[in-house]
Amino acid sequence: MRIFLFALAVLIIGLGVSNPYHLQLLTFIGIHTLLALGLNMLMGYAGQISLGHAAFYGLGAYTTGILTTHWSCSPWLALVAVLLLTTLVAFLVALPMLKLSGFYLGMGTLGFGMIAFILFRGWTGMTGGDSGLVGIPALTVGPVSVGSGKMYYALVWAVVLLCFTICERIVNSRVGRALRAIHDSEHAAAAMGIDTARIKIWVFVLSALFAAVAGFLYAHLVSFISPNTFDFMVSIRIVTMVVIGGMASIWGAILGASLLTLLPEWLRVFSDYEMIVYGLVLMMVMIFLPQGLMRGILDLYERSRIKYRRPSTPSRG
Amino acid sequence: MNAQESSIDVRQPLLEVEALSKSFGGIQALYDISFQVLPATIHAVIGPNGAGKTTLFNMITGIYSPDEGRILYRDKEIQGKKVHELVSRGIARTFQNVELFGSMSVIENVLVGRHVRMRCGFWGAMVRWPGVKREEAEARERAMELLRFVGLEGAAADRSLDLPFGWQRFLEIARAMAAQPSLLLLDEPASGLNAVETQQLGELLEEIRRRGVTLLLVEHDMTLTMGISDHILVLHQGKRLAEGTPREIQANEAVISAYLGKD
Amino acid sequence: MQEFLQYFFSGITNGAIYAIIALGFTMLFNTTGLINFAQGEFVMMGALSLISLWKGLHVPLAFAFVISVAGVSLVGMILERLAIRSVRKPHPIVLVIITIGASIFFRGLAMIAWGKDSHSAPAFSRNTPLEVAGATLLPQSLWILGIVLLIVIGLQFFYKRTLTGKAMQACAINKRAAWILGIPSERMVLLAFALSAGMGSIGGILIAPITMSSYDMGTMLCLKGFCAAMLGGLGSSWGAIFGGLLLGILEAMGVGFFSSGLKDAIAFLLLLLILYVRPSGLLGVRAVHRF
Repeated sequence: MRIFLFALAVLIIGLGVSNPYHLQLLTFIGIHTLLALGLNMLMGYAGQISLGHAAFYGLGAYTTGILTTHWSCSPWLALVAVLLLTTLVAFLVALPMLKLSGFYLGMGTLGFGMIAFILFRGWTGMTGGDSGLVGIPALTVGPVSVGSGKMYYALVWAVVLLCFTICERIVNSRVGRALRAIHDSEHAAAAMGIDTARIKIWVFVLSALFAAVAGFLYAHLVSFISPNTFDFMVSIRIVTMVVIGGMASIWGAILGASLLTLLPEWLRVFSDYEMIVYGLVLMMVMIFLPQGLMRGILDLYERSRIKYRRPSTPSRG
Repeated sequence: MNAQESSIDVRQPLLEVEALSKSFGGIQALYDISFQVLPATIHAVIGPNGAGKTTLFNMITGIYSPDEGRILYRDKEIQGKKVHELVSRGIARTFQNVELFGSMSVIENVLVGRHVRMRCGFWGAMVRWPGVKREEAEARERAMELLRFVGLEGAAADRSLDLPFGWQRFLEIARAMAAQPSLLLLDEPASGLNAVETQQLGELLEEIRRRGVTLLLVEHDMTLTMGISDHILVLHQGKRLAEGTPREIQANEAVISAYLGKD
Repeated sequence: MQEFLQYFFSGITNGAIYAIIALGFTMLFNTTGLINFAQGEFVMMGALSLISLWKGLHVPLAFAFVISVAGVSLVGMILERLAIRSVRKPHPIVLVIITIGASIFFRGLAMIAWGKDSHSAPAFSRNTPLEVAGATLLPQSLWILGIVLLIVIGLQFFYKRTLTGKAMQACAINKRAAWILGIPSERMVLLAFALSAGMGSIGGILIAPITMSSYDMGTMLCLKGFCAAMLGGLGSSWGAIFGGLLLGILEAMGVGFFSSGLKDAIAFLLLLLILYVRPSGLLGVRAVHRF
């Protein structure tokens, strides 16, 4: 099964890479993949747009950051708090929001994202405002420290693989089909008996949870967080990962996350031109490959195979 | 594929429409429409474009609420109910412009149709307990049966939009049937079909009726409509023009001058 | 009372700017159903080109004004032609992301052209503050209000009296019907882009003297302009104006009477409020006169 092979690849890479900077980069790719994966379920499969997902990323990070620094809470307990709080907030946000569609939904999520960002900056008592939050403890599993390096890489990617499996299972189930139906034609989906409102809300919550867990992992990796990591541009970056990688493709999430984590590294030489390139890439992928790179690659592959396949003949006619 | 196993008295109408009226911003789309549909019959609604046929359909299937009047399904009022609620009650439909789920394969489209007869939710999908696997396998079997029924089983794995148009229409019917409806509404099912396909459609619809499903269709193809319908309602400019058996309608002066005469 | 008036003045000044940005949104939305996330960048380009032409190259103000507006409108048309027109699958998400990409692209270009610094522009005329009932009013505010009023009147005239304007309205109301009647909707879309870009740039030009302009000033203005449009009711030109002014005033009041940290939050809180309570906006589609 593909996921197993992928897990193997992750393992081998993890054992092979020794440069700590590269290791951290790969770990970041994992965290970003989580973000992309969650948003992918919402955008790619359910066809809903969220331009404020960094808010949940920040929610996860700040919740655990505040709990572990201000109240010396155990990080694992904080994780539970993260999951519960995110579910609540996401539910409350989604309930009225998902009655909107298209642009309205995009703007609503954007508004929510901006408010969260303003909150992260403004509630200086809790979040430390612009100066950020320091001293977030590293993670430990019992006596074993998994706080950094290879251990953290393994932890992050284990979570990624778990979420991967969850997504894969959902997509290929009744719920997944309902999601894809909503994406293709919402009113036809309703005509099939699908309660579109309910499913959209739950997918939103799911994608928020993924982002919050990513935030949790991020906070304990870097031990210092500041609002800039969770601003509007970050929300756009997550959207970009999904879009470029390929919506409605779980593997696309990895592709998109990898590309967008590595791109700034490669473009570091041309730091002034980063925005131009970024904007151009975004536009061109959407114009020419609206289904994303993953689909584009797959389409090329399938098209080359079609020459050798006989078209199936239904028994009619 | 048989209609739901509940007691259907063949003399009690399955669907009743009473004094239905609907206007859109000043334009009266439907005015005081009343009729009954008996179980296991094929009931057609015909009329020139703009007569209000699709509006009628959309009200029965919950897309619009009527301004006045009632719609009764199995003696319960359903007007104004949400679209997705009606499906589990036994009302399914196809669309005028085929609305297949383009990102999914042929069989997956039918499986979506089966949504209301399955139960697996998010948790079930993630955990995949045995009940879920069984449900999924059973759904696939039924989906394949339906594809066989409409003659598409060879194309089960194909992308739905890769099908030739005529076959797409048949797929839509299979998909609607997957919900095991008692009442199936078909919006211009013959539109875009060639003569051979229209003939096959007619046979298919008659077979569906034989299995106890009630059909309500909007159609422009007169040969098909006159050939298979038990009862026809003629609408003209939102009002009821005539009602009766095909023979009665064909002989009706008003209908001929308003509609059929131009054919 | 004096304080209140002061906040009111600064409020309607900013509000007029929001109004004109919102008008740009509304106009484009009406004709195309599209929300252009790059709208803020049109504002930015208007401001910065005015500064370059007027302050930098000493082009007379009136010319600089016209050239800037024309230039940005051209950019808007190019955007429509190259990016929007070429889209094969106009799914809303696709279009949204294209405009987001465009906005990032424009921002990148502006950063190269004008650097990361902030630039200022002098006022249009002698800017000695006027005293009105104990509060100060800058003449620049009068310029802003005056020009926006002119534009509103001009638009009214355009929509009601000219054939093109009526054609645009027809497209907005029913694209297909307009097409059947022979109105070339593609040209209408191009025109809508040009006009909305132009209006955005005018907003930028007007705001340049009272704020610092930089390559990234567009984002917030875009978002707030959108909030204003939503507040009044997307699709209603009167709504855009009303929403803009209301937002400006509420912001000024919020900053003045509560805290300055609240300034940016107000727009978004109002946005969420409107979306939750009355998505059609305060004036909404139920407005008797759309414009």
